[in-house]
Amino acid sequence: MNLLKNAIINATKNILRNKLINLLCLGIISFTLLIYGIFTYISTNLNIITKEFSKSIEAIFYFKDNVDIQEIEHLLEKIRQNLLVEHVTFNSKKQAEINFSQQFPELKYILSEFNESPFPSSMEIRFKPEYDLDTKINSILDEIEKMNIIDSKQINLEWAKKIMTIKKFITIVGLFLSSILLFVSIFIIYNVIKLNILYRKDEIHILKLVGATNWYIKFPFIIEGALLGLFGSIMAGIILYGLLKLFPSYANFIFNLIKGVITVEVIPASLFIRLIILGTGIGLFSSLFSTQHFLKN
Amino acid sequence: MIEFYHVSKQYVKNQFALNDINLSIEKGEFIFLTGSSGAGKTTLLKLIFKEQHPTKGQILIDSVNINLIPNKKLYKLRRSIGIVFQDFKLLSKRTIHENVAIPLIIRGERKSTLDKQVHSALSLVGLTHRRNYIPEHVSGGEQQRVAIARAIVGNPKIIIADEPTGNLDTELSIEILKIFERINSNGITMIIATHDKNLIKIFPKRVIRLEKGRLISDWSKEELL
Ligand SMILES: Nc1ncnc2c1ncn2[C@@H]1O[C@H](COP(=O)(O)OP(=O)(O)O)[C@@H](O)[C@H]1O
Ligand SMILES: [Mg+2]
Repeated sequence: MNLLKNAIINATKNILRNKLINLLCLGIISFTLLIYGIFTYISTNLNIITKEFSKSIEAIFYFKDNVDIQEIEHLLEKIRQNLLVEHVTFNSKKQAEINFSQQFPELKYILSEFNESPFPSSMEIRFKPEYDLDTKINSILDEIEKMNIIDSKQINLEWAKKIMTIKKFITIVGLFLSSILLFVSIFIIYNVIKLNILYRKDEIHILKLVGATNWYIKFPFIIEGALLGLFGSIMAGIILYGLLKLFPSYANFIFNLIKGVITVEVIPASLFIRLIILGTGIGLFSSLFSTQHFLKN
Repeated sequence: MIEFYHVSKQYVKNQFALNDINLSIEKGEFIFLTGSSGAGKTTLLKLIFKEQHPTKGQILIDSVNINLIPNKKLYKLRRSIGIVFQDFKLLSKRTIHENVAIPLIIRGERKSTLDKQVHSALSLVGLTHRRNYIPEHVSGGEQQRVAIARAIVGNPKIIIADEPTGNLDTELSIEILKIFERINSNGITMIIATHDKNLIKIFPKRVIRLEKGRLISDWSKEELL
């Protein structure tokens, strides 16, 4: 208990003694974790959005004007019988008009200028969630689209796919940057601890001669590394939080389209905890490495 | 008991800092290790607390071959030996109290025990009134006594002192030696390296003389002759 207390006191003293070097150290650790945090944040959110989009495939087909209702009924029946389809709903022109005026009551007056509903009739097909776009669904969608009663289509999964591509790109860039910075951090902490060991060489020698164990001597340096990592990660977390608070539109720019549909957390607690574990881990690892090297016996 | 069997030490090839030393020191003995500068006194002491390793031969302390003590267990040996270094090796930024406390701090001793033991070690060398000073602010003789207090504070079985009176005048030297005698009277083995012939005359003890790395005389043997 006393030994642990002494080690922590010694480590703190060390950090306070070499303020400049330790500040540099803190800076690089928190910068590393900040970059990692930003990229993780973006990619996690993109993931959430894609998931939301691709829970199941939904396709909307708009019918041309003046299509015979018999033909539509026939098509709906055929689609309904398809095993891949969960359900299909028909939206008449009238229904579309009602939906619009319910969603945007303040724009209702516009509708009064039309004799007939300006919206096309449409059908919405929801496929069973176990299928994705690459299977037979694609051919079904293509087949329907080619029919001469169909005007245009809209598929949710195309969006999801685009976002997924962006997400992959961002993840790769993030991992690349983070790993370079990770090595820089480890290198710097390793050397800061080395400097501290050299700085205290005489003291270490005396401690050994009066019977200190190797662990007694190593411990403050290891704690020092861990504390640097811990403070660095807390700093990174605070800065990340601040960035997302200060520039909410910046952080949400990608997600504007679906705002309200999906709740995007400002900074998830799990990310904060991950930063702290990662930071402390980096510090611990680097200082352990350094003491193994420079405090052999 | 400390035993040397055919111990040689070469720092450089073909140069013997110690050459085939055979030696036996009983528990509770008081020993002067003497010889001119470069004779190998410091080297012999360093072999005992394993700061240096013999090139040849075996050293036994209480029947344990210290050559075989692994690095991880070395601290146990060091805790059983109190060392007074020629250059004191005090921590310049710590107070005298803190310096003396170090051997106890590294053992994780409780503060109450620690304060009691530091106090009695400082009383033994007559320095309790200086406990809150840093080493720079006391005299050389007082620093020497701080070093002695630190050596004794952890209740060692052996105390080793390398030229403990090197920088002191005769009067102070005698005072230091009297402290050593007092420590010795508690059954602690004392090994003191010195080239001060006067001291050896004033304190009639067993004298081991080295010359160019060889053990050339041993008081107990001389008496037999
Ligand atoms: N670390 C070392 N490296 C090389 N030679 C050394 C070292 N320490 C001592 N020596 C040599 O060993 C011999 C004995 O030295 P030392 O034990 O210091 O003698 P003393 O303490 O009796 O003056 C001397 O010749 C000295 O130059
Ligand atoms: Mg010497």
